[in-house]
Amino acid sequence: MTITEFSWGKPGDQSLFGMNGEKLKLSDDVLITNIRWFITFRWILIAILVFFEILMLSASDILAKVGITEQQKWPIAIIIVLIIANIAYLFALDYCKSGKYNSPTINLWAQIIVDLICLSVVVHYIGSTSTPISFFYVLHIALACIFFSTRESLYVTILVCVMDAIVIAIDNFLINQAPLSALVKGDYILSESARRDGAIIWMLFLDILFLVVWYVVSRLSLIVRNHERHLSHAYKQIKQAQVEKDQYALLITHQLKSPLDAIRSKINLIKEGYLGEMTPEISEALDQMDFRAKNMSGLILDLLRLERLKTNCLDTAKSESIAIKTVLKKCIDKLTPLINTKKISLHVSVENFSCQCIPDQLEILFENIISNAITYSHEGTSVEIISEIISNHQANIIITDHGIGIESKELPNIFNEYFYSPRAALHNKATSGIGLSIVKIAAENNKLKIKVASEPGVGTSFTVVFDNIQLLKE
Amino acid sequence: MAPRIAHVDDDSDIRESVSRILKKQGYEVDSYLSMQDFIESLQDESNLPDLAILDVMVESMDAGLTTYAQIHKRYPKLQTIFLTSLGDMIRPYFEDGSHEWVCIMEKPVEPVSLLATINDRLRNTGAAA
Repeated sequence: MTITEFSWGKPGDQSLFGMNGEKLKLSDDVLITNIRWFITFRWILIAILVFFEILMLSASDILAKVGITEQQKWPIAIIIVLIIANIAYLFALDYCKSGKYNSPTINLWAQIIVDLICLSVVVHYIGSTSTPISFFYVLHIALACIFFSTRESLYVTILVCVMDAIVIAIDNFLINQAPLSALVKGDYILSESARRDGAIIWMLFLDILFLVVWYVVSRLSLIVRNHERHLSHAYKQIKQAQVEKDQYALLITHQLKSPLDAIRSKINLIKEGYLGEMTPEISEALDQMDFRAKNMSGLILDLLRLERLKTNCLDTAKSESIAIKTVLKKCIDKLTPLINTKKISLHVSVENFSCQCIPDQLEILFENIISNAITYSHEGTSVEIISEIISNHQANIIITDHGIGIESKELPNIFNEYFYSPRAALHNKATSGIGLSIVKIAAENNKLKIKVASEPGVGTSFTVVFDNIQLLKE
Repeated sequence: MAPRIAHVDDDSDIRESVSRILKKQGYEVDSYLSMQDFIESLQDESNLPDLAILDVMVESMDAGLTTYAQIHKRYPKLQTIFLTSLGDMIRPYFEDGSHEWVCIMEKPVEPVSLLATINDRLRNTGAAA
């Protein structure tokens, strides 16, 4: 006895509160983008600092009148450290092999630590307790929450608390000299112990603030990342569904076409005399049967083609550089039997160039346009395929026939799906009516423009416009 | 000795058509209903055909392709032709780079082109009829 269990539960339904911060790390690509943004941000900061430093040097007299007299060396030191560090990050990112000691995470950690040290120096000189400069630490905590996992961002927050505590301790407990801000305030100097008490309260207040900011931002960041994960999961599912849909379409096409193929195989057996002699009348009837069955097969395959072009999910749908002559030659080879039956003379005069397209789709596009040109030509006329090089980057391929043409009122609709033209159907009973819809989707997928000019009874010309070509030497 | 051709297809009409055409041209034809039958027949090394004509969607979506992968590994010299309703539409299911040497024919069975292709393939092994 065989027992099989079936279940159709939806996978991956995790609640937001059951999420694990460690699992929700950002990918290296995202980290690298963030590192670059970080570095650019730092260059801007450096530029601002340099600007102020120059202002200080050039306008020291005016600044002295306002009350700012102090000239110190530390801003220059900070600028130099930041410039060197920024160059080092860029160098590590672009020119060093990434490895155990050079990963985007380590790069970001180095940036945060160096920045924190620089900020601590700035805080120390400007005034840890008497100015709001310490609030700049919050910026680092927020960034750490965005870039790192929850645990790592907590480490950064603790590091910030420790650094701030050290700076406050140095300012208030180790150095007796009053900081810059105290000098500015001038007239009221707090007693030593009151100042120390105030510093401890200030330190506690800041530490609590840092932890609260960490909690809020890391929570937000977790929610955002979780949503991102859900999105990418949904995207994967869509992709998978598209592949399954393609397989389903393939299966249905197979089931629809197989009986026709069996019938046509038997017709071929009779026609080729494998089942004995037959009369010319039978032979003609068989030809007619085969013709109808062939058209139906064509329609079934065209439907599959259209479906495939629409979903565009298969791996073959990748753009690559292809030579136009190769594509046209393949199409013409395929269409040679049709050309011969219609007694069409085909004139090809094409300068070779390459374009970025999906090879299969470009082939389908030209095959359909050329086969239309042949099908709707009057017997014994010619079809011309020529190239028109507009510039080094732009070229046209023009396919002209001398056939039934398209009426001006029908022309705007020819690319619509299932547009049916009674005139065309009268000329060609085998039309599936979706050939040009296929051309349209192939053109869309490959970012090509198509111009159509036509005069009923005289002929039609299709111009395929390529915008991004490279001329090829013969 | 007449070249041996193995043909796998679950459609009896197609099997009959192919075998009629080939036998008339003097080939020895072994028809199989399923890929499993064909693979089992290969247990006996002396039963190895000169050429195999495989349908693609027989028991499953890609039975023909997986069978091909298996026998191509074991007998790299065995010539293979895919005879399928879907013709070139199955190309995306082949791995990259196999475009040149995989021969795909679209059904229906057309005696003239089928024989020409078989002859062309067998000429590579020197076993043409």
